[in-house]
Amino acid sequence: MRNGGTLRTILGCLWLGGSAALASEFQSVDFARDVRPIFNANCAACHGGVKETSGLSFAYEDSVAPYIEAGDASASMLIDRVVDDDPDFVMPPPEHGPPLSAEQVETLRQWIDQGARWGEHWAFEPPAMAALPKANQGSESLGPVDVLINDALRREGLTANPPAGPTRWLRRMRMDLTGTPPTAGELNRFGAELASSAEAAFVRAVDRALADPGFGHVLGSVWLDAVRYADSRGLGQDGRREMWKYRDWVIDTFNRGVPMDEFTRMQIAGDLMPPTDDPASDLDRLIATAAHRLTQTNEEGGTDDEEFRTEAVLDRVATVWQAWMGVSFGCVQCHSHPYDPIRHEEYYRFAAFFNDTADWDLTDDLPKVSVPVDERDRAVAAELDRRIETERRADWEAGDAAVEESDWRTLTDIEASTDKSTAIEVVGDAVDEFRLVGTVEHHMGITVGTPTPRGLRRLTALRLTGLPIDPAAAERDAELGFVVSSIGVSLSSPHGEPRKVPVVAVLSDEPSPLIDPARSLDTDDPMGVGPYPRMLTTRTAVFVVEPADLGEGDRVTVTMRFDHATNGSYPMIARRGRVAVTGDEALHRWRTDPRRVAARERIDAWRSVRHEIRSVGLPVTRQRDARFSRASFVFDRGNRLTKTDRVTAGTPGLFPPIGAEDATPDRTDLADWMVRDDHPLTARVMVNRVWAMLFGRGIVPTQEDFGSSGATPSHPELLDDLAARFAGEMAWDVKRLCRELVLSAAYRRSSRATPKSMAVDPSNRWRWRGPSGRYPAETIRDAALAAAGLLDRSIGGPPVHPPIPEGVWKPFQADDAWETGDDGSRYRRTVYTYTKRSIPYPMMQAFDAPTREFCSARRMTSNTPLQSLMTLNDTTFVEAAAALGAAMRTSGGDFDDRLTLGFRRVLSRAPTDDERTALRTLTSDVDGDGWDAVAMVLLNLDEAMTR
Amino acid sequence: MNRTERLAREADAIDLRQRTRRHFLSSCATGLGAAYLADCAGAERAAAESSATVGPPPRVKRVIYLHMIGAPSQLELFDYKPELARYSGSDCPAEYLEGQRFAFIQGTPKMLGPQYAFERRGESGAWVSELMPHFGSVVDEACFIKTMQTDQFNHGPAQLMVHTGSARVGSPSMGSWVTWGLGSENEDLPGYIVLLSGGRPPRVGGALWSSGFLPSVYQGVQCRSVGNPVLNVANPDGISRRDRRATLDALDRMNRLHHERFADPETLTRIEQAELAFRMQMTVPEAMSIDDEPEHVHQDYGTEPGKESFANNCLLARRLAERGVRFIQLFDWGWDTHGSNEMESLSIGLKRKTRQVDRPIAALLRDLRRRGMMDDTLVVWGGEFGRTSMMENRGGASMKFTGRDHNPNAFTIWMAGGGVRAGHTHGETDDMGYLPATAPVHLRDFHATLLHLMGVDHRKMTFPFQGLNQKLTGVKEAEVVREVLA
Repeated sequence: MRNGGTLRTILGCLWLGGSAALASEFQSVDFARDVRPIFNANCAACHGGVKETSGLSFAYEDSVAPYIEAGDASASMLIDRVVDDDPDFVMPPPEHGPPLSAEQVETLRQWIDQGARWGEHWAFEPPAMAALPKANQGSESLGPVDVLINDALRREGLTANPPAGPTRWLRRMRMDLTGTPPTAGELNRFGAELASSAEAAFVRAVDRALADPGFGHVLGSVWLDAVRYADSRGLGQDGRREMWKYRDWVIDTFNRGVPMDEFTRMQIAGDLMPPTDDPASDLDRLIATAAHRLTQTNEEGGTDDEEFRTEAVLDRVATVWQAWMGVSFGCVQCHSHPYDPIRHEEYYRFAAFFNDTADWDLTDDLPKVSVPVDERDRAVAAELDRRIETERRADWEAGDAAVEESDWRTLTDIEASTDKSTAIEVVGDAVDEFRLVGTVEHHMGITVGTPTPRGLRRLTALRLTGLPIDPAAAERDAELGFVVSSIGVSLSSPHGEPRKVPVVAVLSDEPSPLIDPARSLDTDDPMGVGPYPRMLTTRTAVFVVEPADLGEGDRVTVTMRFDHATNGSYPMIARRGRVAVTGDEALHRWRTDPRRVAARERIDAWRSVRHEIRSVGLPVTRQRDARFSRASFVFDRGNRLTKTDRVTAGTPGLFPPIGAEDATPDRTDLADWMVRDDHPLTARVMVNRVWAMLFGRGIVPTQEDFGSSGATPSHPELLDDLAARFAGEMAWDVKRLCRELVLSAAYRRSSRATPKSMAVDPSNRWRWRGPSGRYPAETIRDAALAAAGLLDRSIGGPPVHPPIPEGVWKPFQADDAWETGDDGSRYRRTVYTYTKRSIPYPMMQAFDAPTREFCSARRMTSNTPLQSLMTLNDTTFVEAAAALGAAMRTSGGDFDDRLTLGFRRVLSRAPTDDERTALRTLTSDVDGDGWDAVAMVLLNLDEAMTR
Repeated sequence: MNRTERLAREADAIDLRQRTRRHFLSSCATGLGAAYLADCAGAERAAAESSATVGPPPRVKRVIYLHMIGAPSQLELFDYKPELARYSGSDCPAEYLEGQRFAFIQGTPKMLGPQYAFERRGESGAWVSELMPHFGSVVDEACFIKTMQTDQFNHGPAQLMVHTGSARVGSPSMGSWVTWGLGSENEDLPGYIVLLSGGRPPRVGGALWSSGFLPSVYQGVQCRSVGNPVLNVANPDGISRRDRRATLDALDRMNRLHHERFADPETLTRIEQAELAFRMQMTVPEAMSIDDEPEHVHQDYGTEPGKESFANNCLLARRLAERGVRFIQLFDWGWDTHGSNEMESLSIGLKRKTRQVDRPIAALLRDLRRRGMMDDTLVVWGGEFGRTSMMENRGGASMKFTGRDHNPNAFTIWMAGGGVRAGHTHGETDDMGYLPATAPVHLRDFHATLLHLMGVDHRKMTFPFQGLNQKLTGVKEAEVVREVLA
């Protein structure tokens, strides 16, 4: 850990003078602070992660080492090269940039003379608690936040504003933590408590706010931006996707105060956590993994599922890094990081954590988990699901063992035909393989016929083996899969009629296929068994038949139908395959064993009960079965079509090592790694996010980028102290963190823009005034509805459709209707509004909410006429003004009493004389009694929308 | 200035910038706006060069972009291929199929000759299809690029490529980049306006005019020719303009009292925005009404007031251009001629579509010329990719109607207006019209050229996002197509 006092002084110099002053005034040169910027600005363009000219990259210590004689600058080639007079020799070459300044060279010299110690960018070193300087703040005892903030203010020569009035603080705090202004009851209660004990009143008010369900909604909105939550798919037709159970989980998680390390583990690896005794709470972990299914999917006809699956995986990488760890990883997709020591290959090692999941950019969004709509049904549903899954899995395992046990005989000397124009040929020494040739038509039947194998007396099952056209290539780039829609089997003796052999059961080669294999038994259903929608390797499907006796010379004819095509374009037809048969009793026994039959009856009975529970299918993350795991590769220059080296999962070497040293780590290890005590980023990023939510700007203003291309923290020690305590004594408890921050003197200050301080620090980097700036979109709308008495504070449920201006809702899919009801859904909290990526809700869009295509770690705040049009004319605001106007009109008392009611509702205070005069004038200038106009003014006040 | 200090200053500058809407502000009225200059003065320039590079001299002030959603067939409209007619009906040669991915074509399709007659038109003698007779009469205004290329062969991603330079949702559109960089010339109207012909909206919707990672104020504002032209621009029912004025006066007074107490400059900005909103309530409906246009103008364009149509939007585009809107984006729908049904066929659907757009496009070009606006306006026409020289055989079988699949390798766009080499054709496709024979032009080159005409160096206009200095032209090298410049 750096030395607090020195660092602060040095940073002060940095702002004022730069590294030259520093190098001479202070004897210790710090690599990350003083040297790396010189490398980045002058050297890295040619000798960095993108272009490692002559094999030299200034991102890596070992690469630079040969050019340096530690302790002796005059013997170091690095110095020779930057001071040389010869234009052919000096670095950087004159045509690439100006030579290093004398000060820069001096910094390099000193650094080398002092031992050339390498060091990392500040955000890549673990944070530690600050060694607080002696607080000489008078009698008041200040927390670490204020000690460090005040220290910086003194250093900058800024005077802190006095505290805001208690009620103004109360409003600010309630708006920030609950998304609505304090109610009349809360105002009165706070006032009463304030009279007895001021400090206790503040603490109690905060505790009440943290216990308010509004808290989860506010924090939830922030997280939903980061994790790119939407109710639609994004690309293609941007159709509706039922993700809202995840949104409800996020809100509930914040409200319950689930610690952030657990919050992280559940989302990163909830599907891999071992089950507990409580299926209902285990379901939460699966719901949490929907975080990775918020990626865009493309349902447009003719799109390549592998292409968009890959896109989704890369987006998961980007989102995990940016949302949790504040590092932009995008550039490493194509080449090593230009400045930070992260290798190209490390990007793909990280991607491997997310590359082996079962999803495929399918329009049906598989795999999904069924979540009861009504939470009260959850316990029963989860218990049933667990029983069904346990029995189903056991049944499959028994069947799979029977498949293994059986003696299979591949059909040879086959004849094959299709029922379309597509040609088919039979190949192989034993003439046992069919292959489609040329144009593959959709909706095809393939028939394979041959005499039954010599000596086979009985037929109990058939097995289709589908092979990739190019097995070696398929491992890297999955080929189209196949789906057997149905299968017909018949036997014929040389002189007899063909006899149909009923197919009675279907077994997949994977334990949990996306599609129920039994659908192959339904001849009207195009779906069925097979690798869907792609295959990485040879795959099989087994069809158990009613046992049939075979005569010598009997012929078997198998007709397989393939009627499904993905995205209307890619037919799921086995292009290359073999058929085998068996007369073994093992599969027959599996099917008829009374214990197995009873188990299946139990499954059916449970399923029929489960079916009665109204549920939504939520897309979730699920690992592929180990036997078909998908290998990961480096993409050359980021292009997925040119894969190079095979990689296994891992984290960049720059960071603390991930556990599981001898085994390949999985997402569970990844989650543990992300929240380990010495991880340099996760806690810092979370603390900074909460800070920005409350103060309007992060300690690191570039919330999305903590890397060396991001901005430097204004208060590095404060950030580190908060991060270290958040992961330590606060145990990742966001409510505790919020409590400390809103009770700090920095947060309580008046937000008045004192001209003298404004001249020095207009953006309030040093926090000389309290928080300022406009509230986020959700708070603006929720607060207006709350002040009007209209806000419906109910929690959770499907997306709602509040009033929307005419002409906006024109979805590509006409059936995606926006129907605004007159019921409560009109005034639900804004976070519940249906979020369609291609048609953002106009109010949200006007007030800078992101459209949630990608991780958005920070909302920019704009101030535009479209916002004024929205709050003056939009139906919701007009209705809110009317309701507030009516409340003032019908309340008792005189003009002043009524006006005070409106003021207290919107601004949590009484009007001043000037304000009374202004609004009294308004009531006489407009038609009618003017209360609606007064309400409109109140809801549109700058004060109503800002901190 | 060292890096830390510079970043701190930039963070301040960005913060301040977010608070005002240059999109609407006239302070950047002339050529390169202060914003772009300020951004140039940031990281790039400080490190790289000392001379003040502000980009090429601007040739145009505004863009009218006509996008035919669905990808019009270049082989039926502008890229005349008599040789293809000779091979019509024969099997597609294997070399056209190798390594290619198609949306719907399966196996070995048949070649398909041009379905309409072509004629040389104008002094330039450019080939124009019989489907576009009116456009043929003004063809000398246009400069064709027949060898446009894109990376994408599905509509959604390809449309995004055209408008944002990236195939994924979430990047800023051309119009956003341009208004972010150059500001607007009219303080009472949005600087970037989007007009849709009606019918089906684009599949990725607002993503085509999104501001992406740029501040949201630079997103395109969709204006409607039916109903409220801009959302919420009309007063609520029962509120007169007089009452609204009184309300705003009270609001102004109250906000000023607040400002006296708290002195926050943002309060003043909000006061400004409310006033601007009030003015927009007048200016936008006025700009968006074609009722008072003279009869001969309606005749020329084929417009019918009160309807949602491409023709109306062409006339509106001219009106908005006159009022200084920086980027006017038109989308027309229904050009996806696969042959999968009547409306998506070359024989019926394409005829119907060309009939809707031919006259208004010609009228727009003539009108701009007549008003002296052609010299500082850029008009662009195009789709998101081209169509195959092969007949589509969806599902591996023959189809009821004739159509073509998607071809990202070669398609035609044309440009007209200031700085453009009128009457010129750049690039030729091979005899089958399938691949470029000369001078392929990638969309990023086209983007570089468009920015160049507006006085912006595509390499210099960048915005940091996800660890990259993002550009409209992306990370790969892009070249201005000098040959199409006058």
